[in-house]
Amino acid sequence: MADHFSPDLIWEITRKRSAMLVKRKQAGGVQFSKDPLNLTNIHSRKYEGFVNDKAIGVQPAANQEKGVTLFTKKSHQANKPASELQTTTFGPSTSSRKTYRSIVSQTAGRGYRPDLRQSAVARASAIKLSQKDKKANPPVKLRGARAKKAKDEGKA
Amino acid sequence: MATRPTVTIISAEGKASDATHPLPNVFKVPIRPDIVQSVHTGMAKNKRQPYAVSEKAGHQTSAESWGTGRAVARIPRVSGGGTHRAGQAAFGNMCRSGRMFAPTKVWRKWHKKLSLGQKRFATASALAASSNAALLMARGHNVSTVPEVPLVISSSAFSNNAIIKTQAALKLLSAVGAGADVEKVRNSRKLRAGKGKLRGRRHKQRRGPLVVYNPDEDGKDLVRAFRNIPGVESSSVYALNLLQLAPGGHLGRFIIWTSAAFAALDSIYGSTTEASSLKRDFLLPSALVKQPDIGALINSSEIQSVLRSVKGGAVTKRPMVQKKNPLNNRQVLLRLNPYAKQYSADKMGQTKLKNEKPPKTGDDFLKIEMEA
Repeated sequence: MADHFSPDLIWEITRKRSAMLVKRKQAGGVQFSKDPLNLTNIHSRKYEGFVNDKAIGVQPAANQEKGVTLFTKKSHQANKPASELQTTTFGPSTSSRKTYRSIVSQTAGRGYRPDLRQSAVARASAIKLSQKDKKANPPVKLRGARAKKAKDEGKA
Repeated sequence: MATRPTVTIISAEGKASDATHPLPNVFKVPIRPDIVQSVHTGMAKNKRQPYAVSEKAGHQTSAESWGTGRAVARIPRVSGGGTHRAGQAAFGNMCRSGRMFAPTKVWRKWHKKLSLGQKRFATASALAASSNAALLMARGHNVSTVPEVPLVISSSAFSNNAIIKTQAALKLLSAVGAGADVEKVRNSRKLRAGKGKLRGRRHKQRRGPLVVYNPDEDGKDLVRAFRNIPGVESSSVYALNLLQLAPGGHLGRFIIWTSAAFAALDSIYGSTTEASSLKRDFLLPSALVKQPDIGALINSSEIQSVLRSVKGGAVTKRPMVQKKNPLNNRQVLLRLNPYAKQYSADKMGQTKLKNEKPPKTGDDFLKIEMEA
């Protein structure tokens, strides 16, 4: 069946109308995508995951507070949605560098969508960054004698 | 000829069985969203009910124009006195309480006659699109748990009145991986915006899977089992309807086939060369371009073997490049002046000019010169 439905055909059908497509009037009519296999969330032929035979998805790891999950599509299982995805989870203990290196070696390093190498690492990096604990604000330093005096009086 | 792709038949428990069925020819019909959409637009018009404003609306007054000379517009005005209505303009579409412009009539052309060939093409095309998981997802179906598309369930799951209760139907749907889509429909139910609420269209909800059965073998009891599940529709394989196959004119309805219905498809639609047994004079449409993947076409051995090899070496001269300054760019300098390499290797640029006086010629030379 895969040969009957080329990615080019699917893209032409879904380019203007798709459940994944999010159109906004802002910023000159941006077109985003809700596709989990879309690395940049931009609705385009290159990035749209469900259109392409081979696609890479990077998502925050499910059921874990931190970590990243890598999805790749098995192109020969295109008509079997339940077994279509290959997933690898990098837990919170995996270092960022190791995560990125593994993502690249599992995808672009093997000739699997080398054009998405940069976007895949960038997305993983953004997810890792968002999962970092936020630093607490440093204690306010009092500036000037008057402020210190006011504080002391407040205590007393 | 390549072997026809086969589809696994899923058992009632949702497991893939050993039984398979070759993919019916109707699934190889070209996908034509334009035809499906235009046919859908026409078909959707065919169950409209006539409506119109009252024939008398805006004309239930005896207004007459006052003519010229009264310093008011010549529009008909309500006669008489004693009420505020008297002297007000009437009839015109621009008037308060006037009739509307071009009042709607019940004898409007409500229905649309469509060519049978187009309707059949659209149905076949919508069926073909339903066999592609990407198009199902693009339509919004939640098919990530479905084992295979097209999804064919063994008819034995329906035999012996196994599915006559909605509870059993729900269990079957979730067993074959369609539970997520049914759940999506249930959560999507929203109150409709606008007047439609008062006109029998109170809620809006998504469409779920369409169960297609063969009434001869599966019976019709399953219809009652499925009909109370939100979003789930059922249809006989002999009476497939484009409004259900491509709701809204959008391709890619999630269809759950019983194996008996799936097996009947080839006899209903025939093939591109064999006429259908049930539809008169109908051959399945075939694509003008058999291979839609242009990249695969270009890279195929048939095309590549007849192409001449690329002319020129590995380095090609690029037109329209920015001119580089050989004084700043060493590689460009070397290309223009190959001697520059040796020149700098020998440090010729740094050697000093010899400024010493030439050596004296010597006495012997002078003596010989003077003698001459």
